[in-house]
Amino acid sequence: LQGSKIRPRKWDIGKLIYMENIEPFDCIKRWKGELEDENEESGEQSEEEDFFKQADKPENKNTEAEDDLEKFKPHFETFKKLAAKWSSFDSLKGRFAGRPNLEQ
Amino acid sequence: MSSSRITSFQGSRNFRLLIVLATLSGKPIKIEKIRSDDLNPGLRDHEVSFLRLMEAVTNGSSIEISYTGTTIIYKPGIITGGSYTHNCPPSKPVGYYVEPMLYLAPFSKNKFSIIFRGVTASHNDAGVEAIKWGLLPVMEKFGVRECALHTLKRGSPPLGGGEVHLVVDSLIAQPVTMHALDTPQIASIRGVAYSTRVSPSMVNRMIEGARNVLRGLSCEVDITADVWRGENSGKSPGWGITLVAESKKGWRYFAENIGGAGDVPEDIGTQVAYELLEEISESAVVGRTQLPLAIVYMVIGKEDIGRLRITKSQVDERFIWLLRHIKKMFGTEVFLKPVDEPESDDIIVTIKGIGFTNTNKKTA
Repeated sequence: LQGSKIRPRKWDIGKLIYMENIEPFDCIKRWKGELEDENEESGEQSEEEDFFKQADKPENKNTEAEDDLEKFKPHFETFKKLAAKWSSFDSLKGRFAGRPNLEQ
Repeated sequence: MSSSRITSFQGSRNFRLLIVLATLSGKPIKIEKIRSDDLNPGLRDHEVSFLRLMEAVTNGSSIEISYTGTTIIYKPGIITGGSYTHNCPPSKPVGYYVEPMLYLAPFSKNKFSIIFRGVTASHNDAGVEAIKWGLLPVMEKFGVRECALHTLKRGSPPLGGGEVHLVVDSLIAQPVTMHALDTPQIASIRGVAYSTRVSPSMVNRMIEGARNVLRGLSCEVDITADVWRGENSGKSPGWGITLVAESKKGWRYFAENIGGAGDVPEDIGTQVAYELLEEISESAVVGRTQLPLAIVYMVIGKEDIGRLRITKSQVDERFIWLLRHIKKMFGTEVFLKPVDEPESDDIIVTIKGIGFTNTNKKTA
């Protein structure tokens, strides 16, 4: 029993997507391994807690939640973060078919 | 008695999508607890307006809304299309209404020719250029060749006064099965910066801001200035920019935004340029805003396996909700499989079409 507690669980996103008892937010977290240990080991209990949490809070914090397709525009980082990230185009190098950049 | 056949949902999430899926699948749905905890519970005026639009483009559908507006039962009829003018309430721009029509129009009995009047831009909903250059090309990939969105008048928020004309002339039995396994290479970046009832210099300043960011890229950047004056420029001043990265094969990624009170045009141009780069880096074959349309088209395709490459980050909460709702309506599950390339953690989405046929095409 103890062994199963320690073993880090690897989640298959293909299955997680269709596990209706897990909120999509948690699916993503579990898949990416960001979930806290305590939540993982007591699976059923945490689900129950989640359930109550869900019922307590209104379904969306605001009317245009990020996980709702009713809002068309996807989520973007703040201007500052984007500006820092895109000060160089290195990560997009392979994506452009244009003429080769002569400086490199 | 027949209530067991009704698929039920709760909450206001993916409202338009659920109505669209119900219409495509021909199954009645019930949506309960629509903002039941909200101070102002029930359907919003734009949602009611959308239901009216659905009534206009279908024949035989029935919509029952509860007294409080928190529950709705929708029994779909057949998609008939035709010519119609829809006046959109100012709370949502025309893009909000045009977007769901794209899921239905190719499978209609008659061609769609709908004029939408109202606001043509907003911060959160699809803009005119986003639909024209971002969503229509996706439809083209699935075999819907003749569709167009014409901007007759622009109408900035809050007062609007714009007018767009959606024409879908292709009527097809079902979408083409998709096999898109490689991330397309971007050949050029195009864009349009527009203004209504403000100085044309705003447009040039936005273009300047965007060009500054994109200058270092090794591809052609061409941003058009589109200044609207006089009667066709609506009732309010406004300005905005849409940038589109195009591949040779016709795939597109885009980002867009509009100016609000106190915004500096250069900043909006710069920000949209950054957002375009971000969107490119987050996307494989289609962008995040195009993904739901592509997935739904794949689900209603022929009984054949369709494949689409996506990135790991495209598997987000919206994606999961989309797939859950699709499963509930069509019973179809989507399979995700990592790509067979060592340096990539992209995923191939595999979907077996349900073998949907346009009911109006059955006799042909």
